[in-house]
Amino acid sequence: MLPFIDDILRYDSLSIVGLEKNTGKTECLKYVLDRLPVEAKRIAVTSIGIDGETVDQVTRTQKPEIVLRQGMYFGTSEMHYRQRRLVSELIDVSDESTSLGRVVTAKALTGGKILLSGPSSASSLRRWMGEMQQRFAIDLVVIDGALSRMSSASPAVSQSMILATGAAYSANMATLVSKTAHVVDLVNLDLTTEANIARLMPLEKGLWFIDKDGNLNGLDAVTSLSKDIHFDGMDDCRTLYVAGALVDGFLEKVRKNKTLKQVELVVRDFTKIFVTPQQFRLFLKAGGRISVLQKSKLIAVTVNPTSPSGYVLDSDTLCGRLSEAIQLPVYDLLKNNKQ
Amino acid sequence: MQLKNVIESPCGLRYMLDQLELQSGYARRWLLDAPLMTDAEEIAAAYDVLHRFNDFVAQVDKTYIDTLLFKLQGLKDIRTTIKNLHNQAVLDDIELFEIKHLAILATDVAGLMKQHGMEGVVDIPDLNEVITILDPDGMKIATFYIYDSYCAQLKDLRNQMRQNPEQQDDLLLQASELEEGVRKDLSRQLHPFAAAIGQAQLALAQIDVNMAKAMQMRQMGLCFPTVSNDGTSHYEAMFHPQVKAALAPRGRDFQPVDIAFGHNPTLITGANMGGKTVVLKTLTLCQYLFQFAFGIPAASARIAVKDEIYFCIGDEQSVEKGLSSFAAEMKNIDAVIKASRENRELLALIDEPARTTNPTEGAALVSALLQVLADKDMSLVMTTHYDIEPGNARCLRVKGFVNGEMDYQLVEVQDGEVPHEALNIAQSLGIDGEWINMARGLLENSPSA
Repeated sequence: MLPFIDDILRYDSLSIVGLEKNTGKTECLKYVLDRLPVEAKRIAVTSIGIDGETVDQVTRTQKPEIVLRQGMYFGTSEMHYRQRRLVSELIDVSDESTSLGRVVTAKALTGGKILLSGPSSASSLRRWMGEMQQRFAIDLVVIDGALSRMSSASPAVSQSMILATGAAYSANMATLVSKTAHVVDLVNLDLTTEANIARLMPLEKGLWFIDKDGNLNGLDAVTSLSKDIHFDGMDDCRTLYVAGALVDGFLEKVRKNKTLKQVELVVRDFTKIFVTPQQFRLFLKAGGRISVLQKSKLIAVTVNPTSPSGYVLDSDTLCGRLSEAIQLPVYDLLKNNKQ
Repeated sequence: MQLKNVIESPCGLRYMLDQLELQSGYARRWLLDAPLMTDAEEIAAAYDVLHRFNDFVAQVDKTYIDTLLFKLQGLKDIRTTIKNLHNQAVLDDIELFEIKHLAILATDVAGLMKQHGMEGVVDIPDLNEVITILDPDGMKIATFYIYDSYCAQLKDLRNQMRQNPEQQDDLLLQASELEEGVRKDLSRQLHPFAAAIGQAQLALAQIDVNMAKAMQMRQMGLCFPTVSNDGTSHYEAMFHPQVKAALAPRGRDFQPVDIAFGHNPTLITGANMGGKTVVLKTLTLCQYLFQFAFGIPAASARIAVKDEIYFCIGDEQSVEKGLSSFAAEMKNIDAVIKASRENRELLALIDEPARTTNPTEGAALVSALLQVLADKDMSLVMTTHYDIEPGNARCLRVKGFVNGEMDYQLVEVQDGEVPHEALNIAQSLGIDGEWINMARGLLENSPSA
């Protein structure tokens, strides 16, 4: 028995995030759903990011439907609800529309297959989760958490997380381990110590800083990608908040700026960080601090040693080396399933 | 003319809508689609309904109001579904769910209204039969699927599915045919209720809008107007809610204004910064609010119904259209003149016409405009800085600077002579002394001084 099912039940929400297509995210979701105690707990499942097709357009591999068990709740689009292959009771139809229609919520009355495509924005996902917990007394929300450019919804809204990585992310074992370890470092970033966290939460774009008296100020530059960003008049800045993407050039500017030595750099969550491991390490080495507004507890990492092109890494070596690098349990679910 | 066509009017109608605490998106759409009422009886009837809601909000316990508002949050726009039902289409599960959800909601809200003697204020059709059709097990909860009790055979197939999951696909195929039969039957049974379901949806939107308007009246201190039948409008202590709200954080109060006007033109003169433009904005706002049956920002108001409302504000730039501010203004006023020749009741509010051109031609244009519009069957309120012959116009003047403070009240004066306070006001603003004193010198030496 793999232990992390017990870990999952300690939290009210779980997202399963694939670092690349074909890293085994769907298998991991299936594995978890098959093992959750559906008789004892109310469980709801949804997905962020809209992937409408049953066949993955990029790699032409089969994209499996999710198999739900009787009693599970789920949120999906109208289009996918109409294609369901189970008996289910509708409990809600939202006002919010996605490209595949509105999000509908239902309860499975028999087991069966469903394509998942849920709320596509950060706020609608949060609202959906809140409604599931409050109106329908759901114990655990499970999110199929694609890291999609198409969706602003972030898996970091969940309390806990499982990362799926594998040969599709990199076919070179050393590279795969170091790239995955970098993402794990980002997921594990501390929550901010900034007391005014509630004022930063609603800011979805722009650069902001909080001075030593707790006043919130906006910077002229709109994003961290801007060419000319000036830190003038920020001598008493204690927290610098990047609401959008954090990129290398900006991180370097902050590192090299004398007045910002003591500043805590804050991003919304790990999905907003697009810096190379090199810049990230340089920043930390120079004494820089990065924290996040929302984070998930990383429970485990799963690996798929097979790449879509057919290249296969040695599963045991990969699990061992990755586990050593990140100090967390690593599982090859397909292999474990066969045993 | 619908609310959505005039919502961006510079008079500030958008602010009033933004401050309205509507519970559902559908009520907001319904309100934006509402036509400008031009029938006095229709307006009076709409205010009668709002009156009932206003009393209701004032008298009823807050927890009860919150319950009602929470219910109204569940109102969805299901017009497409109702249309499908009306056209005798076979509804799918989502559509049947929507109808059941609405029917239960309407019944719940009707019950709440009845508890406080509000039945009949807004007509909510009885949809209990609809609920019975879609709730065969009498569960009274707003969820839906093709229930086992619709069809014994279906129940049997589903039990087989649970016992033999490996045959699921085959069993689902058989079940789907039975389900489709049930949907056809349900759609046929529901078809006669299409109109009532549509009416229930409208009624709920109407309740949402009236609740929001009533709460806004209390929050902003708005009044119920009476309908004027003699073509004249009277406002006591009129104010502009948006300007008032903008002044409050700076510790300043909005000074309310009394004003009345009829079919003779009204000419408002007064010092710069005397609030002339705000008066026109507020009059425009009040006229719209009246004809969409909102509370009126005044201590009391008696308002005449108009067929059309024109608000021409001087600094309107139509850069996209490639027009200068002068050209844009001329075109707007031209529309007023053309409309005034047709046999309709107009209200035109024109702010400092021809202000951007030279004073000689400007004054001539304004005098002529006044004469052209004076004998038309319309209400005209116009502000100006030009000294012009008022003719039959009633002249109002902003009191202006009294003891170093601006008094925004309007007083009636006998002629249209404009006050000469620009230099004093500039001085009070701390504008460069060399400039102002030189201007004063020039005035003293000019032949007209």
